Amino acid sequence: MNLDFSIALKYLPTLANAAVYTVFLTVTSMFIGTTGGFFLALGRTSRFVWLSGLIWVYVWIFRGTPMLLHLFFIYYAAPLFGLTLDAIPAAIIAMSLSACAYTCEIIRSGLQAVHHGQVEAARAVGMTYPKVIRKIVLPQALRIIIPPYMSNFISHTKNSSLASVITVPEVMLTAQMIYSSTYRAIEILTAAGCIYLLLTSCLTGIQIWLERITSYETRGLSSRRRRQLGLEVI
Amino acid sequence: MSSAMIEVSDLEKTFGETRALDGVSLRVDQGEVVCVIGPSGSGKSTLLRCINFLEEPSHGNVRVNGRRIGFIEERGRVRRMSGRQLAAMRTEIGMVFQLFYLWPHMTALENVILGPASVKGLPIREAAAQGQQLMRKVGLVDKMAAFPEQLSGGQRQRVAIARALAMQPKVMLFDEPTSALDPELVGEVLQVMEQVASEGMTMMVATHEMGFARRVAHRVMFMDHGRLVEVGTPHEIFERPREERTKRFLNKILA
Repeated sequence: MNLDFSIALKYLPTLANAAVYTVFLTVTSMFIGTTGGFFLALGRTSRFVWLSGLIWVYVWIFRGTPMLLHLFFIYYAAPLFGLTLDAIPAAIIAMSLSACAYTCEIIRSGLQAVHHGQVEAARAVGMTYPKVIRKIVLPQALRIIIPPYMSNFISHTKNSSLASVITVPEVMLTAQMIYSSTYRAIEILTAAGCIYLLLTSCLTGIQIWLERITSYETRGLSSRRRRQLGLEVI
Repeated sequence: MSSAMIEVSDLEKTFGETRALDGVSLRVDQGEVVCVIGPSGSGKSTLLRCINFLEEPSHGNVRVNGRRIGFIEERGRVRRMSGRQLAAMRTEIGMVFQLFYLWPHMTALENVILGPASVKGLPIREAAAQGQQLMRKVGLVDKMAAFPEQLSGGQRQRVAIARALAMQPKVMLFDEPTSALDPELVGEVLQVMEQVASEGMTMMVATHEMGFARRVAHRVMFMDHGRLVEVGTPHEIFERPREERTKRFLNKILA
């Protein structure tokens, strides 16, 4: 077997260009998915049974069926409703719908991990619901959800390769196109693998950083905060 | 006659089949310290929680400083308060919980000043200066930058008291504030509460600390099975209780 990695090097710019699509798809759909998932999680933990039930059904469907199916579905079903979607918007919609379902559950786990007594103590000093969420629940929930959230982010990055089936020119589709014309599958797939590994390593790095900045007790108060509170600066 | 700070009339609270409160009416005057005693499950906590509407009464109503909590009465019609109105009303009612419920992601001082800063909109420096005063008052000047998990139970509860006082409430509710503490830490918390009482705060304290009730309370209320069985001065309740159930309870607890 002779391997020629200069081929991989030659096509690296093309793959890097495709990686931009991968990053764009993943980050955009995760952004939408996180925003949506946050509100879904609030609804899911609310006292309105109908709302909570409705969201449960949403999660049940979108977490229980493959994202590959969502991609095809959105891409092929949209024209039936008089909409013609390009591959990229279709991919973003399908990936966001899936991300919403997963992040809803992750954020819900964080919200529910904050003891109800904490919330009551906040309400007892006169905080309104949005303030309780912002000042008491979220800061604590955030820390709890970082590991599962980032794991999901990494899965989602890899799953973006599924968008290749609806012709989004992301890393996987581009790799396939290159090796079907060069017959250098191993070299090109190795390069594609390295790109994914690089992207997911960045996410791992972000996770480590997030975990560090949210470990408040070990870090203590910043000197700026100390000054603000009129405490001795150490 | 001094003015009523808390007025409870015909209060009932049911949880499913259980009747936690079964027709409670009472009145607490301004500046008065009332201790609520009674066996566990007698409804003491539920009563306090209904007073600041953490628990919604099933029947009856509660007035604090003349206003009905949770509802607005206008031209003979009653409607629910909005979340904002309820929150505003709660700023007048301080609450101290059995399990402290300090916010673990903030230092002691930050716990104390969050209310004034985020609810009342006080500038952070001003809130911090006031917060420091309160931390001094509860004897925790050296613990201001400590996180709750670095504090003992007694220290946590004193921070919780400072946090409630920081809102400058008109009433303080204490829900078994020393029941979760190691015996040797009870004294420091009671001492702070006694000081607060001596400054004229209206207080309602659910407690098993009979010594505190005897020493500090103006009146003692004995509850059992969701009802107020007997109300009187500490002397009346502890020295010559009239009701058989009160006698039995006191015999058991003071034996």
